[in-house]
Amino acid sequence: MGKKILLVDDSASVRTVAGIALRGAGYDVVEAGDGKEGLGKLNGDKIHLIISDVNMPVMDGITFVTELKKNPNYKFTPVIMLTTEAGDDMKAKGKAAGAKAWIVKPFQPAVMLDAVSKLVMA
Amino acid sequence: MSPAMSAADDDAVVRQLTLLEALPIWAKNVETARDQTETAIVELTARFSGIVQRLSAALGESVGNHDAAADARQSERDLQLVMDALRTIQKSRDELAREIRGLAAYTDELRQMATEVESIAFQTNMLALNAAIEAAHAGEQGKGFAVVAHEVRSLSSAARETGKRITRKVGTISEALHKIGETNEEVTQRDQRDMEQSEGHIRAVLSRFTESTTQLAETAQRSREQSRAIKDEIAESLVQLQFADRVSQIQAQVVGSLDRVAQWGAGSALEADPESIERAREELATLMGHYATDEQHRNHHGLEAQSNAAPQAATFF
Repeated sequence: MGKKILLVDDSASVRTVAGIALRGAGYDVVEAGDGKEGLGKLNGDKIHLIISDVNMPVMDGITFVTELKKNPNYKFTPVIMLTTEAGDDMKAKGKAAGAKAWIVKPFQPAVMLDAVSKLVMA
Repeated sequence: MSPAMSAADDDAVVRQLTLLEALPIWAKNVETARDQTETAIVELTARFSGIVQRLSAALGESVGNHDAAADARQSERDLQLVMDALRTIQKSRDELAREIRGLAAYTDELRQMATEVESIAFQTNMLALNAAIEAAHAGEQGKGFAVVAHEVRSLSSAARETGKRITRKVGTISEALHKIGETNEEVTQRDQRDMEQSEGHIRAVLSRFTESTTQLAETAQRSREQSRAIKDEIAESLVQLQFADRVSQIQAQVVGSLDRVAQWGAGSALEADPESIERAREELATLMGHYATDEQHRNHHGLEAQSNAAPQAATFF
């Protein structure tokens, strides 16, 4: 079984592109459509890395990461933000919430896989 | 209020009401377009990704392909080994032929010796004959000697006969050896000819095989290069297809804004009072707060929207 990655994005097409790339690289991918659904998919399971969008309905990515980091099980789980947002103030919010990397959409799957392999938990 | 003013007001109210009716419909239409685009893009993305994966798998497989050219080279080396072994056998046969020729030379010597034996026997016979004549001249006293002379003649005749038999046998052996030599020579020449012909045939086959495998390898290489180019093109298209996400976010934000304006406008007739102006400012600020892409900010400020479609590197914190 590959390492588990939680992929949170409201765009089905982005989940498809990222999901296919990650599964192709041997990762086990769990998908969620927004931050709230993302939190619901944790179940206390071992998650090796999380990829999250920022602008999502119900619960946005920054709130999701902030909530995630309150849970001791996921305090040190690396998070990559994958978003159309490219502004420095938004990046600063992501960093403050606890994200480890920021990738702007549209993204090259290879760039995402490279960042994942650098950050994924042992 | 004058009748003219009232008519103008009515007209403004009708236009406002029409706009308010139209807003939710526009919002719904944009939402429908957004849904349909998203569904189509997900389908396209999945199909393109499938093609990229199949091409990647195919490219991986052909790298590990059996090397027919290497097989041809190995066959060439094997053929050389067989030819060397056959040449060694041929050399042994040449050696044998030389040995046989050597034996034939001995038979000549043997024939010579047999002839000498015959000659000695003939001379001995002549001597015995002379001795018999001399014994006869001696009369009664030579009688015993005549018996000895007779026996010597018998022996010399037997020796002559033996010499002749030896000559015949040596002739037979010599003839057989010559025949063996000749047959060996013929077989050797025929083998040499067959071997050269076979080698020629095998080399021709190998050469054709090598040529075919080289062409095949070249074709396979070209096919691999084209597959790789197609795979790269499709992978690049997958990046471009992510425009759907940007479009979807812009549309979602437009829909939200349209809904809010419709709700706000439904309350009362639009008037340029300070409260309405303040609400309009708030709405514009909310509008800007929901922007997710750089092009939305540029549009808002009346700048030319540039598509920020070039993929960037990841930023690590």
